[in-house]
Amino acid sequence: MIPGPITRASSSLRICLWCAAAAILELALYLSYRGHDARFHWFTHLFVGTSVALLAMALVAVRTGRPVPYPLVWPVAAHLVAMTPDLLFAAGHAHQRWMELFLGHISAHFVPGRNLTWYAVFLLSLAAYLLAVDRGRAHRGAADP
Amino acid sequence: MIFGALLVIARVTESGLDDPDPARQRPGFIDAGGLPQPAPPLTGAALPPGRRAVVFFVRPEGVAGLCEASSDADLSSRADLVVVVSGAGNCGSASTVNDPTGRLAAAYGLRQPKAGGPPVGYAIVDSRGRIRYRTLDPAVADELGEVATILRAVP
Repeated sequence: MIPGPITRASSSLRICLWCAAAAILELALYLSYRGHDARFHWFTHLFVGTSVALLAMALVAVRTGRPVPYPLVWPVAAHLVAMTPDLLFAAGHAHQRWMELFLGHISAHFVPGRNLTWYAVFLLSLAAYLLAVDRGRAHRGAADP
Repeated sequence: MIFGALLVIARVTESGLDDPDPARQRPGFIDAGGLPQPAPPLTGAALPPGRRAVVFFVRPEGVAGLCEASSDADLSSRADLVVVVSGAGNCGSASTVNDPTGRLAAAYGLRQPKAGGPPVGYAIVDSRGRIRYRTLDPAVADELGEVATILRAVP
C-alpha cells in the first residue's frame, strides 16, 4: 500500500513521540544528578553509553544495509546501562570494582582529557553510524535501478 | 553541538569550591587514589580505635548548617563525627577541631578547591584507623545520605 498523507503524518508523529520521550528521559536523568560535580558523571556515562550504542547501530546498519529501527532508543538504553551503578548508589550501594561491567563505569571517569575525550569518541561513533547508513542507502540505490 | 554546548556550560558553572579535576570529586567508591592510608591524629579529638569516623572539613560559615544537618541525619550512631573548621567554630555534640592553617586538611590529603582556600569535604576513616574515602564536597550538608552510603561500605 502506498502511504497516504494521513499515514505519513501518523508515522512522523510516532517518530517525534520517540524523540520527545528520549529527550524527556535524558532531561530527567540529568536533573537526577545533583550538583555540577555530579553532572560531570552524567556526561561521562551519556557519552560512553551513546558511543557504544552508535557503534552497535553502525554494525547492524552495515549488516542489514538499513538504518536501525527506533534509533533514539538504543543510545538511551545504553546510557541507562552505563549509569546503572549510579542508580544503585542512589539506592544506598556504594560503587564496587565489579561495576566496571557497566561499560567501565568507574574507570571511564579517569581517561586522559576526561569528558572532552568521550565527547570526541561520541562524535566519531555518530559519524560511523551516519556513514554506515549512507553506504546502505547507496548500495540499495545501486541495486534498485 | 547541543551536547558540546552543555558540556561547556557545565564546566563554566562549576563552583570555586569544586575539585579542579571533577573525576576526583565524589567518586562513590572507597580506596581510590592511594588509599587506604593511616589517618593522621586529630588535635583535641582522638579517634577511638574500633569505631569508624567521618571527618568533615568545613569553612566557618558552613559549620552551623553542617551541624544541624548531621544531627538530623543520625550519622553519629554509625560513626564518630569530627568537624575540622578552617577557622573558629563549634559544632555542639560533634568534636570540633580548629585548623586555621589547613595543616590537618593537607595531612588528610584533601585536594585544593578550584578557587583555592580551605577545602570543603570529608574523609571516612575505618575501624582500623585508616582513611578509606576522601573527597571535596561543597554541598556536603545537603548530601549526608551519600556519606551514609559510603560509610556502609567501610568496615
